[in-house]
Amino acid sequence: MLEKLKQVQEEGLKSIKEAKDEQELEIVRKDLTGKKSALAEVLKGLGKEDVETKKSVGMKANEIKNLFAEKIKEREDEIISNKSVLDEPIDLTQPGLDVEGGALHPITQMCYDLNDAFLSLGFEVYSEDDISSEKFAFDNLNFAKDHPARQSMDTYWIEGTEEKQGNERLCLRPHLTGGSVRYLLKHGAPARFVYPGKVFRNETTDARHEKAFFQYEALIVDKDFSFSSGMVMIETILERVFGRKVNVRMREGFFPFTEPGYEIDMECLVCGGKGCRVCNHNGWIEVMPGGVIHPNVLRSANLDPEEWTGFYVNIGLDRLVMMRYGVDDVRYFHSGDLRFLKQFK
Amino acid sequence: MKVSLNWIKKYVDIPESITPKQIAYDVTVRTVEVEDVIDTKEKYHDIVVGQIKEIKAHPNADLLKICIVDIGEEKPVQIVCGGSNLYEGELVVVSKPGAEVIWHGEGEPVKIKETKMRGESSYGMICGAVEVFLDKLFPPKEETEIVDLKGINCKPGENIADALGITDIVLDIDNKSLTNRPDLWGHFGMAREIAAIYDLKLKPLKEVKPDKNLPKYQVEIKEPEKCPRYTATEVTGLCEKESPLWMKVLLINVGLRPISAIVDITNYVMLAVGRPGHAFDRTHVEGEKIIVRNAKKGEKLLLLDDNEIDLTEDDLVIADTKEPIGLAGIRGGKKDSILPETTGVVFEIANFTAPTIRRTDKRFDEKTDSAIRYEKNLDTETVDLGISLTLELVKEIFPESKVVAYTDIYSIKTERAKIEVSQKFLDTRLGKVLEQKTIEKVLKNLGYDVEYKDRVYHVTAPVWRSTGDVSIKDDVMGDIARLLSYESFEKKPLPVKFDHAVKQNDVLLERRLKEYLAYRCGFNEIFTYPWMDDKYIKAAGLNIERPIKLATPPAPELSTLRTSLVPSMLEVISKNLRYYSDFKLFEVAQVFENKEYHPSTKEETLPLHKKYLTGSITGKDAKKIFFEAKGVIERMASYTHMESLTFKQVEKPSWADPNAYLNIMHGSTVVGSLSLLSAKAMLEAGIKRTNVAIFELNTDLFVPYPSRTNEFKHLPQFPLVEKDLSIIVEENTKWEEVESAIYKMVKELEFIEEYRGNQIPQGEKSITLRVKIGNDDSTMTSEQIDNKMNAIMKTLNKKCNAELREE
Repeated sequence: MLEKLKQVQEEGLKSIKEAKDEQELEIVRKDLTGKKSALAEVLKGLGKEDVETKKSVGMKANEIKNLFAEKIKEREDEIISNKSVLDEPIDLTQPGLDVEGGALHPITQMCYDLNDAFLSLGFEVYSEDDISSEKFAFDNLNFAKDHPARQSMDTYWIEGTEEKQGNERLCLRPHLTGGSVRYLLKHGAPARFVYPGKVFRNETTDARHEKAFFQYEALIVDKDFSFSSGMVMIETILERVFGRKVNVRMREGFFPFTEPGYEIDMECLVCGGKGCRVCNHNGWIEVMPGGVIHPNVLRSANLDPEEWTGFYVNIGLDRLVMMRYGVDDVRYFHSGDLRFLKQFK
Repeated sequence: MKVSLNWIKKYVDIPESITPKQIAYDVTVRTVEVEDVIDTKEKYHDIVVGQIKEIKAHPNADLLKICIVDIGEEKPVQIVCGGSNLYEGELVVVSKPGAEVIWHGEGEPVKIKETKMRGESSYGMICGAVEVFLDKLFPPKEETEIVDLKGINCKPGENIADALGITDIVLDIDNKSLTNRPDLWGHFGMAREIAAIYDLKLKPLKEVKPDKNLPKYQVEIKEPEKCPRYTATEVTGLCEKESPLWMKVLLINVGLRPISAIVDITNYVMLAVGRPGHAFDRTHVEGEKIIVRNAKKGEKLLLLDDNEIDLTEDDLVIADTKEPIGLAGIRGGKKDSILPETTGVVFEIANFTAPTIRRTDKRFDEKTDSAIRYEKNLDTETVDLGISLTLELVKEIFPESKVVAYTDIYSIKTERAKIEVSQKFLDTRLGKVLEQKTIEKVLKNLGYDVEYKDRVYHVTAPVWRSTGDVSIKDDVMGDIARLLSYESFEKKPLPVKFDHAVKQNDVLLERRLKEYLAYRCGFNEIFTYPWMDDKYIKAAGLNIERPIKLATPPAPELSTLRTSLVPSMLEVISKNLRYYSDFKLFEVAQVFENKEYHPSTKEETLPLHKKYLTGSITGKDAKKIFFEAKGVIERMASYTHMESLTFKQVEKPSWADPNAYLNIMHGSTVVGSLSLLSAKAMLEAGIKRTNVAIFELNTDLFVPYPSRTNEFKHLPQFPLVEKDLSIIVEENTKWEEVESAIYKMVKELEFIEEYRGNQIPQGEKSITLRVKIGNDDSTMTSEQIDNKMNAIMKTLNKKCNAELREE
């Protein structure tokens, strides 16, 4: 009898192990524990046996029954944990589906990055109109009467005003700086603000020159302010753009609206300052002009230069974006060409 | 401008320990930008002095000779040469193997190798001037001529650059960085700056003054305001002659070509002390009198380059008693030029004011060295340096010459700027307290006079900086800061202020609009120019009554400034269609309207500026893209936190399809439009086989919310029941009517689709809508649901004449 049970147990465990999926396992379960199972057959045949045998065989049979139940549960768990939701094979190397999304212009993106940085330093964002008068574009900024930038070879004058002067001579703004006086006239001092925007110059275009380009200018006006604090603005810009600290140097530069004025160079990121083709072998790249606001400009803004001083930084975003991404032709920015714009999602 | 360090060293001794690279760096940081440091010897490597010991005939070539040449090595070498002026004992220029020469003076440099010429070995090459960059110093008279170093103190084997004194370091300075420094347009000024940077001693210049008892040369100044000072020095006993080697070499090293001793002297003086001069042949000055006057109407001047120019009354000219002979400070006339037979000249060293020069010089594309300097506003005092150096050089080069007459008409003198600078001002603005000693040293090195009294520096600027460059205390502060180098000042963090956090709703709204379109709606932002192309103005059907135009537009068809962003948008769409079929674009920019607006004072009148947002969706299915665009605008207000926008048909935009346009409203104000692009506009803009939905909005009329306005609603406690309903209505029934008929009866109402087809009778259409219904206080029973749906259908039937569509 016990021999028979041993055989039932062995065969039963084998069939549990061999069940491949839930359906097969269900059949096995019926075979092993149902009314017609081998185990039931054995128990049925017990009638003729003595009590002792009945007892020991009965106990053994129950034991086997429990074992089957346990093993079936184990096998069930095993099958479920290996079960896939897929009912057919999958090629995992196929590409994922596209995410539909547009993009801001790479220059807008850079502009917003800088806005965020300056906002954290308490700067406001200001914008002046695209068309300005000679008074704000040049006179207020201490440009000499016969400064070459005032000529139509450089500046886009509006037809019908080109022979007039000052307030009445209008142009597409050739730089942002004129906006600084507008802001100061409106809001007074102390002030700290950035004023990004497009500017326009009558230039012949090539890979490095455009008729319209994007500048980003920042100005602080305050009392008891030293030019060395201005350097912090410069580092803010460059750290934000390049994501790490960039070495900069300030050197002498000249602009009508600053005194003193600076050219700000950054260490060439291509060669790390050792000198390469990109930096013309001197290790430094000119990135932006800046300087202390000229007393005459403060006067234009109705501020007393004895009391107030300030610091400008002006950065050409086109050039910076070109450096950020390695773009080699400035004309892409105004091309509207999606093959270009889609790269900056 | 090129600056020779050899030349600088005539005025200041620079210690060996300061390398040229260091000088370039320090000058760049403190004074002017050095763009390049040029080692003039570099291109002369392996090019040496040789002496021809013996000349033999070449066995295989009539025109070639075999030369045995001493090049300073153990044994003389054999070189084959075809030069026409070879002789034994001649000192020549030899390019050894490894040297790089310009073959016959044309093309890129070629490396010399030891070779055989017609069977005879040749160790290098005996060179002509054009082959080894010496043509300026030894202008060849014929092509086959080689350089003959006769008369030059040199020995075989010596590097040719060393032998001729060419070896030098030249700093190439960016002229733009020199615009405000008239004093740096000569080597002496640059030497003074370098001396100041390193605190070195500047050697004084030799002073030579014309004899006081000399007769006066006749000069008349009619325009003293334009010509504050004029000196004329008449010299005789001159002749056609070359300048000495040292002078020629210096001129060549800084980029000039020596011409003749007389002309070279004026150039040398200009490059040394920054004073442009001019030499007139004395016999060409009619009446032996110089008159500085405005040109007369109708007068003409023939220039050296044979160009005749018409003069205006604005032009200042140098004239003799008969006619103009030169354009003051700019260019000489043909008549006054120095010729080989010239034996006497009148040297002019003068002062012409910058505006005078700039006005007249505008007519020329290229500026002369003289005009470049006068334009920067030279002072009147350093004229003396020019006279002194001219006299010194004339005496040195033409020992037999004689100064026979001299005049100095000095009407207006440049006054040195006097400025007071307080210690407190410097401490604050420099952000660092400097010792009095330091400040005085820096300023004195730059030529200032300084007196310190009661914590105030009373400074007198040097005369050569007093023509505008230095006039206020900020200039003095700038000089101190730059000379100590900006790098030496510690960077001070910005003081933080806590008055108020910056919050600018209009600025934020613009950003939210752009980010909404780009990131939520899949639009790409474009930039276009502020002017429009006539072709696309026409395509967009714009009729601009009083256009604002550019006086000098980039091209004739690009003269009109934009009143709408649509024309440029059409242009960009048509260009992108070459590569893409479905895309969405937008631009935010200002447009202009010819109305008056005063941003500052009444006197300043600008055209009206409006900030527009224009977007487009390009794709084949016109209805689909139209409603896609409509969805973008419907959701715009809530996503960007501004007051809501609605639609109403008011006026058709010129570019719109006659059947598919809507105006966009804020309250009762029209803020823009949405439409399909008309077939006509697409045809004229070259937009083919597709459709465009286009919207344009005036964002100035948007009203941002001061903060977010989302409102919390309690979640429904009892489940809502969702039911779809297809109804049949007449073709002209609008969704708006369906919606307003039943929206109050349901919790939610949604448009699903519109359908026309076989099963739908002609002149009618089917609309499928989805409703959600429910009770506020219990779950709906099926009976309640049926009743509600019947009621809805009944209302639709009554108000919209709708029938249930049988499946």
